[in-house]
Amino acid sequence: MADFPFEISPMFEGERVRKEGMFVELGGPKSLGLELVRAADMDAIVDDQVTIVGPDLKDMEEGKTYPWAMIFNIGGELVEADLESVVERRVHDFINYCQGIMHLNQRYDVWMRVSKDTAGKMDSFEPFGRAVMMLFKTELPFIEKMQVTFYTEQAEVEKQMTEAKEIFKARDARTKDLHDEDVDVFYGCTLCQSFAPTNVCVVSPDRVSLCGAINWFDGRAAAKVDPEGPQFEIAKGELLDAVTGEYTGVNDIAKKLSAGEFDKIKLHSFFDSPHTSCGCFEVVGFYIPEVDGIGWVNREYQGMSPNGIGFSTMAGQTGGGKQIVGFLGIGVNYFYSPKFIQADGGWNRVVWLPSILKEKIDETIPADIKDKIATENDATDIASLKAFLEAKNHPVVATWVAAEEEEEEEEEEEEVAVAASPMMMPAAGFQMPAMPMMSGGSGGGIKLTFKNAKITIDKMIISQKKEKK
Amino acid sequence: MTKVIAITGKGGTGKTAVAALMIRYLSKKGKFLLAVDADADTNLPETLGCENVKTVGDAKESLQVEIKKPRPDNPDMNKESILKSKVYEIIEEMPGYDLLVMGRPEGTGCYCYVNNLLRGIMDKLIVNYDIVVIDAEAGLEHFSRKILRDIDDLIVVTDASRRGFQTAERIRELVSELDSNVGRIHVIANKVTDANRQEIVKLAGDLKLNLIGVIPLDPKIEEMDIKGIPLFEIPDDSVAAVEIEKIVQKLGL
Repeated sequence: MADFPFEISPMFEGERVRKEGMFVELGGPKSLGLELVRAADMDAIVDDQVTIVGPDLKDMEEGKTYPWAMIFNIGGELVEADLESVVERRVHDFINYCQGIMHLNQRYDVWMRVSKDTAGKMDSFEPFGRAVMMLFKTELPFIEKMQVTFYTEQAEVEKQMTEAKEIFKARDARTKDLHDEDVDVFYGCTLCQSFAPTNVCVVSPDRVSLCGAINWFDGRAAAKVDPEGPQFEIAKGELLDAVTGEYTGVNDIAKKLSAGEFDKIKLHSFFDSPHTSCGCFEVVGFYIPEVDGIGWVNREYQGMSPNGIGFSTMAGQTGGGKQIVGFLGIGVNYFYSPKFIQADGGWNRVVWLPSILKEKIDETIPADIKDKIATENDATDIASLKAFLEAKNHPVVATWVAAEEEEEEEEEEEEVAVAASPMMMPAAGFQMPAMPMMSGGSGGGIKLTFKNAKITIDKMIISQKKEKK
Repeated sequence: MTKVIAITGKGGTGKTAVAALMIRYLSKKGKFLLAVDADADTNLPETLGCENVKTVGDAKESLQVEIKKPRPDNPDMNKESILKSKVYEIIEEMPGYDLLVMGRPEGTGCYCYVNNLLRGIMDKLIVNYDIVVIDAEAGLEHFSRKILRDIDDLIVVTDASRRGFQTAERIRELVSELDSNVGRIHVIANKVTDANRQEIVKLAGDLKLNLIGVIPLDPKIEEMDIKGIPLFEIPDDSVAAVEIEKIVQKLGL
């Protein structure tokens, strides 16, 4: 390692420079602090160059706070604009590796302190800049050339800040546009396995974690820093079905993490092999067989759903890391996904939301369906929900008509359905919504799992549906 | 190595006063010290003469609000760094020591992720100090959640009541169920008078509790309390301050 006036080690990462031991403060709550990483042409970068605009360390007065901006330029054959944010996240780590330098926050909220000890060992920020760039180039070898400019003058920092905010804005717009098909890896999280041992949380650009706290970017950052930690990479593998969101890589991890309990998880499916539900989910979806639609209830809503059950009861039934057909836990952010339960009709299947939730996610509900979704102010039980949907001509109503037409022809099957229904009742109390009715006779079919079940059947008739003329 | 001292006990036994006196003595000795208020029901900051402090609970809550926004402004924000910054920002820098207040309990929703971040942050923060003194509630919740992990010395403060000693016994049982490592458990009897001193020493012996100190009822503390003077300003020669000095020495700090 080249010679630096201070020590460099990950050990210093959480180091706190106290007010009493501080030489100067840069940025922070009382001033302006900025950091930005920009990709640049190799030719435009003078490798290892540190430029200081404004007073340098030796010109600073002890105990004072100065405005601060640092702009890093990176170059290399593999360097592209999309990598800027990945590199920028590491600025915090690498600066903190430097003894006597405390770095907090990110982007336009940067706050740094330089200790008296370290300030006593150098007159300039130059060795500090070189040390940080050395760390970047060692740890992220795709960076071939790097230079940095430090600004410590109010007017100059303000100017950089204005420009940087535009850059961040454009970058955020790009990240918001990232979808499942744009990436090669998803991320898994096992934090909830402590209480839901078979839970498999899969986080993709189009699917936030159920607790709402971890998005794809958090997964990426955490897995990079600690691949053995609770968040880890899942190679997508082969795409089996783009609509349901089924990938070989996700199925493999589902098998592994659930200890064989499930062999498939389809990311954007409600009925068939849905995502497991941990217990932390912000919202739970429930199938309402009487209207062939799906209602959603959030943790904050204290009332009842049209099926007569509240969030806590449903959460109790749904949680524990199982795939429960007819219920699905999600994070609120998933409503904003363009792939929101797209395997099962997406928004056209949504029939009920509590008004507080409907208001909160208003902007993401498609305009043509918004008024057709009931809240507790429109419907509190199945009958009033049915009437509301009918009056508004909700898309699910069309499926009722088709189902009614079939009813006559299905009469002879009814005997079987009645005989079978007691087996579908879970032991734990309330009536579980029946399996989705297959209107029109097509569709993927259903899977029934019995565990520790004792079934006695005198007679069972299974017959094929007659084709409609 | 950082030494972690947790002080707990039944409400009303004067554990916060003991914690404050210990912090006062240690900070005067020139130790690099972090004081942690981990009991939402008490008032360590006021006892130390520090008001309107922000709390880790507030920091957690504001991060929770930020990350639960349906459409975050920056989906790629570094949440660990942001929470760490918030925690470092709310640390109150007092003369001779730093103060961190854990604050309010959690709201509804899932805090697994935020708590997991906080664990890592606290681990890194604690190694900055020679000594960490924690004023902890009797249920030791921050330890059972592993936000704070290992304790070198757990001190249970009791008054002269039998119930105070029973709490001490219960805490000893609770500790055996914790995942955290707890080095030694001690008991301090507080507000002791000449009339009940002998009986207290005997009671502690019967219960096999390791009595490390007996603090006499100190009229100076009561006087300061009524006048609203922070305990931090207690004179060095007050009986309680003298006894605390002995206890700290026995702990080898």
